[in-house]
Amino acid sequence: MPLEDSTEQLRAEHEALIQFLYLSPVGLVQAALDGEIAMINPISAQLLMPLSPDGSLTNLFAALEGVAPDLRLQCAQYPRAQGMVFEGLHIHLRAAEHSKRAPQILSLTLLKLDEARIMAVIQDVTAEVRRERQLRQSDAWLNAILTRISDYALVSIDRQGRIVDWNESIARVTGFGEHVVGAPYSVFYPPGAMTPEHLLDRLRESDRNGWSLDEGLRLRADASQFWCSALIAPLPDREAFGLDDPNAPAYALILRDISDKRAASEKRRQAAFCDHLTGLANRRAFFEAAELEFDRAAHTPRPLALVLFDADLFKNVNDRYGHPAGDRVLVDLAEALRDTFRIVDTVARLGGEEFAVLLPSTGEAEAMNSAERLRALVATRLVASDMGEIAYTVSAGVAVLEAAPGAEGGDASIDTLIKRADQALYLAKGRGRNCVASWNSHLPANEDTPKRSRDAG
Amino acid sequence: MSTATANPSFDARGLAGLLDASSQEQLDALAFGVIGFDAETIVQRYNAVESQAAGLSPQRVLGEPLFTNVAPCLNNFLVAQRFEDAADEGSELDDTIDYVLTLRMRPIKVKLRLLASASSANRYVLVQRR
Repeated sequence: MPLEDSTEQLRAEHEALIQFLYLSPVGLVQAALDGEIAMINPISAQLLMPLSPDGSLTNLFAALEGVAPDLRLQCAQYPRAQGMVFEGLHIHLRAAEHSKRAPQILSLTLLKLDEARIMAVIQDVTAEVRRERQLRQSDAWLNAILTRISDYALVSIDRQGRIVDWNESIARVTGFGEHVVGAPYSVFYPPGAMTPEHLLDRLRESDRNGWSLDEGLRLRADASQFWCSALIAPLPDREAFGLDDPNAPAYALILRDISDKRAASEKRRQAAFCDHLTGLANRRAFFEAAELEFDRAAHTPRPLALVLFDADLFKNVNDRYGHPAGDRVLVDLAEALRDTFRIVDTVARLGGEEFAVLLPSTGEAEAMNSAERLRALVATRLVASDMGEIAYTVSAGVAVLEAAPGAEGGDASIDTLIKRADQALYLAKGRGRNCVASWNSHLPANEDTPKRSRDAG
Repeated sequence: MSTATANPSFDARGLAGLLDASSQEQLDALAFGVIGFDAETIVQRYNAVESQAAGLSPQRVLGEPLFTNVAPCLNNFLVAQRFEDAADEGSELDDTIDYVLTLRMRPIKVKLRLLASASSANRYVLVQRR
């Protein structure tokens, strides 16, 4: 073959190969172990550019710093010479305010090629995660039906969630007698596990989906608790009971004691939704809970509070006592959070020493009180370490989505709420730490103000 | 091309009109990359600088939808949505932003100038290396 022909053929092949990479519908990045980008394809730029804090794509870890701060560490700590550092890690983005269509969840796979190079695969999995979530609910429902039912209580409830009549099965499973008639079905929930709004939310969700399923601790008449799967379904021909009678049965509530299956289902749940260090909800669980609460508040307005907690000067703890001691402080803080907040609140670790608590049906005063109680509790605690006991403090920022419809001008989102709580937290840090502050509209709304509150220590 | 008129610069005023009126040779003589596309985002103009930088010959690019088949890296709120918003509102777009393109899979810092107006059939992404 003449030389020009084979050069021309190489050129054509090279161009085809370049275009193949340009058009790959997944993001591909090759980088050094410290994240320095060597090669990167267009979809990566499409997904990463809106996240990159300095608008450059020089370093993969720097570009993702704001949404996944642990990557550098995870990569550095990966013990093997080569292999999968992690696969399909879900990264929840906060930048949804720019566009309804903007990606909200990225999937990131990191492969260590050798001691010098890593390869990353980045995908927008927002739609896929939504579908999976629905599928998971269907699975849970099928599971609830198909699992061998040893015993269950069948309870009729009306449109307001009140128990309409009593039968033997209610006594067998819960121990409640006939006096339970007329009480809201939250009578089966332990204190702090149900709000009046959630009581109605579940009825509405079962109207919309055909059923509403949840699993958790329930209460017997003697105050003992059991692990329960509860299914609410609209009665098929409830119109026959009379539409105008508010006391007519409208839903069936089925309570099953599944205490023996608790270990297995908890383990499954923890793997996907818990932060591995503290056992609190992880980012994924937090954002799913937030989405649900915003949907509910959009339908039936009620206040929703967010408190962001940040351990004060935590870097000093790590530097002085070492990371294992720092981890023990975080675990201690998690325990204090669990003790302070209700079951219905979502207590999550968002990353590093930053924690968030979402409080449904909670106004500002109540949220400030709870945050203050937590702050005061932490200030009395000591954590053991090899170098003596560690005293630590936390600061908190509170932001509340008010109940009045239209009060937020329709632009309320979890991102707004987080941003406000973040600004309040920044204020608390500025007041000398170990302190709780609440957001108000006089705080600087400047986008850049507290870029990351933890920068303030 | 007349030697009397110098080539227009990246930040020249009224550039969209000049580009509309330019021949392919004139586009190829420019010192910055030019991608022109129509209301359906189909690429109609593509110059030599851009072709050389991207490693793609014009045949592979002309007639293709810009944001999905030519430059998916621009398909986000920083670039594609600016054009969509301008089209929705019927407003003029002339923004210059710092961006990173992935030319031949290398991250390259560039300035992008985004041009759209009701008076021109073509919209433009202009690319200048920083």
